Amino acid sequence: MTDREPAHFATPAEVTDIVTGLVLVHRAGLRWKLAFGAAALLTALLVVAIVVLLVRGVGIWGVSMPVAWGFAIANYVWWIGIGMAGTFISAALYLTRQGWRSALNRFAEAMTVFALAVSSLFPIFHLGRPWFSYWLAPYPDRMGLWPQWRSALVWDFFAIGAYVIVSVIYFYVGLIPDLAAVRDRASSRGQQVFYGLLAIGWRGEARQWERHATLVKILAGLAVPLVFSVHSMVALDFSEGLLPGWHSTIFPPFFVAGALFSGAAMVIVLAVPLRKAYALEEFITDEHLDKLAKMMLAVGWVVTYGYAAEIFTAYVGGDPYDTALQRHRMQGAYAWLFWATIACNSLSIQALWWPRVRTSPLALVVIALLVLTGMWMERFMLIVTSLYRDFLPSSWGMFHPTVWDGAFLLGSIGLFALLFLIFVRLVPVLSIAELRRHAAERVDTRP
Amino acid sequence: MPPVSALDALREALPPPGSPRFWRALDELADDPARRALVAAAWPPLADLEPALDRRGFLRLLGASLAFAGLAGCSGPPPGRIVPQVGRDGRSVPHAARYATALATGGDVVGVLVELRDGRPVKLEGNPRHPASYGGSDPRMQAAVLDLWDPARSDAPRRQGAPSSWAAFEGEAAAWRRRFGERGDGLRILSGTIASPTLARQRDALLARYPGARWHVHDPAGGRPGRVWPDMSRARTIVALDADPLGAFPGHVRHARDFAEARRTADTMSRLYAIEPTPSLTGRNADHLWPAAATEIPKIAAALASALGVAVDVPGLDAFSHGRIAAMAGDLRANAGASLVLAGPYQPAVVHDLVRAMNRLLGNDKTVLRELATQSDDEPLEDLVADMHAGHVDTLVLLETNPLYTAPVFAEALRHVAHTAHLGRYRDETAEAVQWHLPALHPFETWSDLLTLDGIASIVQPVLAPLSDARSMHDVMDLLLGGVPNDARERVRSTWPQLDEEAWTSALRDGVFESTPPPVGARPAHDSLSRNPTRPDASPQEAVARRARSYMPNALELLFRPDEHLWDGRHAHNAWLQELPRPVTSLTWGNAAWISPALAAERDLRDGDAVRLEANGRHVEAPVLVVPGQATNSVTVTLGYGRRSGIAEGLGYDAYTLRDSDDTWHIGGLVLTKLDRRDMLASTQAQQDMGRRDIVRTGTPAHPPKGGSTVPSSLYPDVAHGEYRWAMSIDLNACIGCNACTIACQAENNIPVVGKEEVARGRRMHWIRVDRYHEGSPAAPLTYHQPVPCMHCEHAPCEVVCPVEATVHDSEGLNLQVYNRCVGTRFCSNNCPYKVRRFNFLQYADLASESLKAMRNPDVTVRSRGVMEKCTYCVQRIERAHIAADRDSRRIAENEVTTACQDACPTRAIVFGDLGDEASAVAKANRSTRRYVLLEELNTRPRTTYLGALRNPNPAWGES
Repeated sequence: MTDREPAHFATPAEVTDIVTGLVLVHRAGLRWKLAFGAAALLTALLVVAIVVLLVRGVGIWGVSMPVAWGFAIANYVWWIGIGMAGTFISAALYLTRQGWRSALNRFAEAMTVFALAVSSLFPIFHLGRPWFSYWLAPYPDRMGLWPQWRSALVWDFFAIGAYVIVSVIYFYVGLIPDLAAVRDRASSRGQQVFYGLLAIGWRGEARQWERHATLVKILAGLAVPLVFSVHSMVALDFSEGLLPGWHSTIFPPFFVAGALFSGAAMVIVLAVPLRKAYALEEFITDEHLDKLAKMMLAVGWVVTYGYAAEIFTAYVGGDPYDTALQRHRMQGAYAWLFWATIACNSLSIQALWWPRVRTSPLALVVIALLVLTGMWMERFMLIVTSLYRDFLPSSWGMFHPTVWDGAFLLGSIGLFALLFLIFVRLVPVLSIAELRRHAAERVDTRP
Repeated sequence: MPPVSALDALREALPPPGSPRFWRALDELADDPARRALVAAAWPPLADLEPALDRRGFLRLLGASLAFAGLAGCSGPPPGRIVPQVGRDGRSVPHAARYATALATGGDVVGVLVELRDGRPVKLEGNPRHPASYGGSDPRMQAAVLDLWDPARSDAPRRQGAPSSWAAFEGEAAAWRRRFGERGDGLRILSGTIASPTLARQRDALLARYPGARWHVHDPAGGRPGRVWPDMSRARTIVALDADPLGAFPGHVRHARDFAEARRTADTMSRLYAIEPTPSLTGRNADHLWPAAATEIPKIAAALASALGVAVDVPGLDAFSHGRIAAMAGDLRANAGASLVLAGPYQPAVVHDLVRAMNRLLGNDKTVLRELATQSDDEPLEDLVADMHAGHVDTLVLLETNPLYTAPVFAEALRHVAHTAHLGRYRDETAEAVQWHLPALHPFETWSDLLTLDGIASIVQPVLAPLSDARSMHDVMDLLLGGVPNDARERVRSTWPQLDEEAWTSALRDGVFESTPPPVGARPAHDSLSRNPTRPDASPQEAVARRARSYMPNALELLFRPDEHLWDGRHAHNAWLQELPRPVTSLTWGNAAWISPALAAERDLRDGDAVRLEANGRHVEAPVLVVPGQATNSVTVTLGYGRRSGIAEGLGYDAYTLRDSDDTWHIGGLVLTKLDRRDMLASTQAQQDMGRRDIVRTGTPAHPPKGGSTVPSSLYPDVAHGEYRWAMSIDLNACIGCNACTIACQAENNIPVVGKEEVARGRRMHWIRVDRYHEGSPAAPLTYHQPVPCMHCEHAPCEVVCPVEATVHDSEGLNLQVYNRCVGTRFCSNNCPYKVRRFNFLQYADLASESLKAMRNPDVTVRSRGVMEKCTYCVQRIERAHIAADRDSRRIAENEVTTACQDACPTRAIVFGDLGDEASAVAKANRSTRRYVLLEELNTRPRTTYLGALRNPNPAWGES
């Protein structure tokens, strides 16, 4: 395999020293401790909120009739979308042999796994009776009961299930050689046992490397279509409905683009502090940020096209309910949400046309945060504006979030941050094996 | 004969069975050293328990208390022979018997059938034989079941707030009687309007026994009860002057039925003009609405009377009004003999006199069935209050009335009374202030009788033994009269000596007497109309002129109206009524000050803005509600809220504080000040404009609403037709929007109440709702009502999206909800274009209160939190019919299955049945040219369909 554009100039040994050193030698700083404390507090808030939810019911949220879905579903779609970028960067760019991805793929994959973990809380806890969520799974049942196969929620259940399984395996398989490297450098007995167990006997034999490469290729080949299927299924959760604003054929590609958009933004939000805290500028270069920014700009335009297409088709089609929906979106009670979404998702990214912005970490983080906010608002706007004014004006009504809605959103961010903070302390945040290979290839091709 | 065993000896020593003091007496026996041996012989464990409670004894008691806890909601059959209705098929089913009785609900008397399941009253219908209901219901009737089982009912007598007993009160009453002597000076009774001939007889007996006593009547919301008992089925032209025959008149259930019947066919449709200062149900269903200030109504009445030929001077009116009056007068004259002019109880006597004169002149003998007295013999509350202040009142007995809430002046006056007692079902404001609070029986628990305003009598028979240690008004009267209460049945029986045993039995069975001469002493009904018909009494010109002078344009007037469901506040403890949207405003759990859209624009007020209403030097603070159809400068406050006890405590504001007397219905000089605050209003419908959407189809006799249906093709196969194809048709032309269907469904299907905050969040649980839409100008809109239950779509959008198959179709076309299987994704509700699905966001059903368990329909599951629910077409009734039909190996007969909403509907707007049967009512309705499908373009193929609404406007009517 020939990778283009090797990004760093460290020797293979230096790569291993630096990256394993982050796990074995580097001590937690004050900033990490503060961040960990804040994330733990928010996670505790989430736990409290879940307990209250289980005791009292989903009525603690602002969901109502007609807006029976609210923050929970918006959070779910948002988190699962964020998860997309990790798989895309590591699998799709792997298959297309984009060598620069090696500096990003490890923590992006971790981000995917954690975002999926957080996101999968919501479809369960948003149920009226979460303890029966397993009824969506097909299992032999004495009463002969099966899921209702026409429902997009069942397809979604399978799509997420498959995606979670492949993502976790892919993440772990990529980790094995690196875990072995950490094991080999570990000095304390505890670390040796811990990483030794995780490395499941990796010895770095050629045969192992060969099988590893094959498995990674297969998993990458599986992961890429799953990325598209899972977000299409999430979109079908909505477009299967007959509500104006949901019942739209553009939703699946629109959701895929939106997912990549928010995922790229989250990679930027994680990459910039990470490289600063661990001094990884050599590996995660400005060039990487530039590429991520270009990716965000490109998919941002696809998302913007989606917005325009929805409005265009509504008015070209002339369906009175569709046009009324677009009117309510742009002028109704939630118009501020629509226009804020446009401002964040379509306008703010236009700054990325300037190369200086694309290589300025601060500007990028600001824009990426705006995009993340905008994508959450977009999900929420899509859900609420279709529901709050549908067919019969008599049943129109507003959605008023409660503190518990906020607790679940903040808590989910806290849980994600907590998982990621633990990850950066325990696992090599960069792919040692791949960076070593780049270094080795560079040595080999030296004139 | 000497007792043969120890048990018999004990039984001898006890009071006779049936006495509520049974257990208490056993205690007393055990306490009595002389009799302890007796108890020990008959029931050794009991004697052991009392003196020393050891560990075993305690555990045994604990076990017994657990066992008895389960019995708390139970009650046996009532004493005395009661007579059930015969079942539909000629059989009477013992475990599901129906008894006819009657209810007095907020100024009205209606005949009802109480349905018992295993001895427990669980549901109530209008009595089809009773002319005041004809089988229809109103919300207050339906709510009576919850009144009976209400866990908050007062359960024991209280003296100065401390628990006491009836025996103690009997002692007190004996002392009072001794003090009364021969004259009974200082004894006063205060009651509501007396509708029971037996109570009237007891009142007469009391006043004869104690010549010094006086009986006062306090009816804060009755006004001048309908002077006219109309027959709206014969009237072709109706002019309602601030009158609400469909909503607030006594007999309104029947009037609504008659009104709808007269409008069923387009060619012979009646025309209704409503002139009113504040919208009523009648105004909401009128062909022409003319909002006019209350003080303007006498002028309009005089002008109309003058136009019809009554000799009366007409105060100046503008040309526009004259045009309208001419149009109405022309219409009335064209239908002379089949027309009707009505005045409401809130209008002064002069308007009623003018109305009488008009009806006479028009020869409306057939539409005015009965005229009732303008003057009542009842002594008003004001006299009582004056006498209390003067120290003339020594003993005051309050019978099922709550003057401490409904008459603000009463609290102060009560301090001057030495002895006070109050009989009531709740520990309300009055109960807290008097010396003796005595719990009252529910009408389902006692014998009584009731007389409607037009003289239809019913016997009130108990359907179960009392649930609490309570007594009736009649019992208390007997105590005041002569000590021992008479046998409850005999007491009523002796009021009706003209009935022989057979007539008595059929009166009990049918719930109504064949023909009833009002017995002596009942509501006086003397005719004071023997004067010149074209020359009404009391010089109306002067009165009209005086009223005209008092009317100042642009000055605000304040109107008092009873709450549409709570009436004067007497139903405020009923959570079903609290949560049932008010027909005019769709408000729940609170009241608002109604203002006109014009006033709202002028003062920059929005729904929920708090204002200060100041009149006569008193004030209240209230949230405003903009009500289309409200007269520009009229502000309406509704009575019944601002309670200081019970579940309604803290809800709404108390309009009584602005009021002078029971007869104050409007006052001028209102000062309205906007406050810097907003109050929460729990409304169930925020949007009343259907825009250009095809939701309610409307038309006129000349241009009837478009019907017909074009079913779009579908990719899905057609549903298989089973043996029956259940379907419902709702005639929007008949629906008056009273909401009786909603509450009947609530009672039938164990639907929980959710409370104010949850309603405000949009989480009410009613399976059938009544939407209302306004058309035309907000100042004087036409209003259409549309009941929306589940549509039972053949291609149901909810079924496609449920991941666990919790909502499925059956072979007979029912869209079923399987509660057990529901996990609560709520996707079905999102995907329901009619938004008829209801979700248990929290644990709404009260699973703790024992008495509510006894109230529930045993055929319907009580839903827990986290599951979706919705209208089932009363599947339990369909199943019952299936079982009965299968047993006899026959098909289910037409009309064998009725839904609860259909039974309750006073206007018969809802028909239900088998579409497969060409002769069924629903199949016939579906062949109507007015039949249409709601949101047909979505191709959901509903089984519930609608018939378009008609209005019958007068082309000569000028629009502003």
